Amino acid sequence: MPFLEFIRWQDVIDILLNSYILFRLYVLFRETYVFRVLTGIALLWIFQRIAVFLGLILTSWVMQGILAVVALIIIIVFRNEIRSVLQAKNLRAILWGFPQKSVPTTIQIIVESVNALSKRHIGALIVLPAKENLEEVVQSGIPLRGLISKEMISSIFWGDNPVHDGAIIIEEDRIAKVGVILPLSYKSDLPSRYGTRHRAALGLSETTDALIVVVSEETGKVVVAKDSKITDIRGNEMFTKILQEHMGIHEEEDVYHQKEKFKMSIAAIISVFFITGIWFSFAKGLETLITLEIPVEYTNRNPGFEIVDASVNAVRLHLGGSGALIKSIQPEQIQVKLDLGKAVIGRNIFSITQDSITLPPGIILRKVIPSVIEVTLDETIKKEIPLQIDWIGELPEGLILSEIEIDPEKIEIIGGKRILENISTLYTEKVHLDNLKGTGIIWANLALTPAALKIAPGSKDKVRIMYVVKPRPK
Amino acid sequence: MSIRYNLLIFLFVLLCANLVFALRAFPQNNQLSKSDVTAKKLRMDRAVMCEEIKDFTPQNPAVVFSIKIGKVSCFTSFDPVPEKTVIYHKWFHRDDPSTEKRLTLQPPRWGTYSSIQLRETDKGPWRVEISDQKGNLLRILRFSITD
Repeated sequence: MPFLEFIRWQDVIDILLNSYILFRLYVLFRETYVFRVLTGIALLWIFQRIAVFLGLILTSWVMQGILAVVALIIIIVFRNEIRSVLQAKNLRAILWGFPQKSVPTTIQIIVESVNALSKRHIGALIVLPAKENLEEVVQSGIPLRGLISKEMISSIFWGDNPVHDGAIIIEEDRIAKVGVILPLSYKSDLPSRYGTRHRAALGLSETTDALIVVVSEETGKVVVAKDSKITDIRGNEMFTKILQEHMGIHEEEDVYHQKEKFKMSIAAIISVFFITGIWFSFAKGLETLITLEIPVEYTNRNPGFEIVDASVNAVRLHLGGSGALIKSIQPEQIQVKLDLGKAVIGRNIFSITQDSITLPPGIILRKVIPSVIEVTLDETIKKEIPLQIDWIGELPEGLILSEIEIDPEKIEIIGGKRILENISTLYTEKVHLDNLKGTGIIWANLALTPAALKIAPGSKDKVRIMYVVKPRPK
Repeated sequence: MSIRYNLLIFLFVLLCANLVFALRAFPQNNQLSKSDVTAKKLRMDRAVMCEEIKDFTPQNPAVVFSIKIGKVSCFTSFDPVPEKTVIYHKWFHRDDPSTEKRLTLQPPRWGTYSSIQLRETDKGPWRVEISDQKGNLLRILRFSITD
């Protein structure tokens, strides 16, 4: 995908980091009012962006004002909540921990309720259907659809409750029906300790795949009936295991954890999408242009050749990209390189293409000025050139610089053949006359023009000038 | 009268004989002159830059001249000058040709010069290339024009 070419690794980290921050905010504040207000602010911000996009000046201005005020209000109004979230937890909990909420599961509630009923010798009949429909097997029953709880179960089987003699049917985490009449078993070999509840439980287990929990009113003992068999329950562990097996749950609180994981995954995905959207609106939406002047670098030049002339030393690059990227751009990140590998002596014309330019990721080349560069190459040669002193200033009144001797008189120079052919004299840097008197020696540096010229190894780079200044004859 | 007449005839004959001998001797003399030319080459015995030339003598020879003097000259003298010939004074301001003067030399020796008028823009290093009729470089004189 073409737009992926312009995403830098920094952008990926940028998105992931901010997505994680947003996700953590959700994890930490999801059960608080702060989260709801934050959601409201996020929506407000989205509307504000839409208003800006549509050019609704007043609306966007008002929303911007509200956002600024609301952000302040949140900190003031919810300071206690924010403090409790940030203070109560350690750094680990804030950065990557997940607050564990101990929500009792259906199985736990059933086990605890049955224990409570058993202790108080309150008879109870609880039906946990499996795959088969019980509608045709059971009779009467009052629909309840109430969320399961220990108190609810206790109150249903309370002796004064009109439906306490019937069974209850639990579907998922709700009590679907109460006061249900179950079909009785006609088995004649049932132990004498089993009463009507046991017989009813066995009767339903003979005709369906449901699991029926029975609490004996007389003994307080708990049994479960399933597949025409009655099993005595010895301990909560065994009871929990039987219930888990019946419900197809292998681990305690699995449903709750799965739901939590699902919620967190959704939250994480939404966070990534949200931040990616914001990133694109900031980074890609605001296209900015910049013009930079970048020096041209010449590569692969034949060592025997010299660049004697180039139509330009630098090119102007018109670059585009997001405002943030353009602001962070450093000129040294951009390179314009011309390959002189195939260049010949004389004039060479090169087009500056996309391949000649190295740009940071996310930056797009819009235009190059000039798009063509003319480079003149020359063969490198050595030449001995006479030296001349470039005097400036004025001798003191009445004096004449009558003669000079310079050493060396000639100097060997390395440079382009075409340049050196046209140079017959090499000059020194400016030498001041003002302080010369009598006879003396001074030293002068060479002024190599053009700069491409070099002094050959072994040649002197300074000139010794022995001068004779005499009084002007009257 | 006859003696006087005979004397006149004798003098006339003598004059004619002298004339004949003289005419016979001239080409021989001329041939010798040509061999002298090949034997003696044009030689430059002096070349200087100076402020002015007075009485065919360079005045205040130097290597640096103030623009205030308004003029600078290149004096060259040759000895011998085997025959009439020309030399050139080529003036260069830095490496840019400024002017070229064609100067005639007369045998047996000759001194000659060329000059330039100085302007404000003439400051900087100069050189005068002195070459013979065939363009052979005889000498380069280097000097500067300053404040």
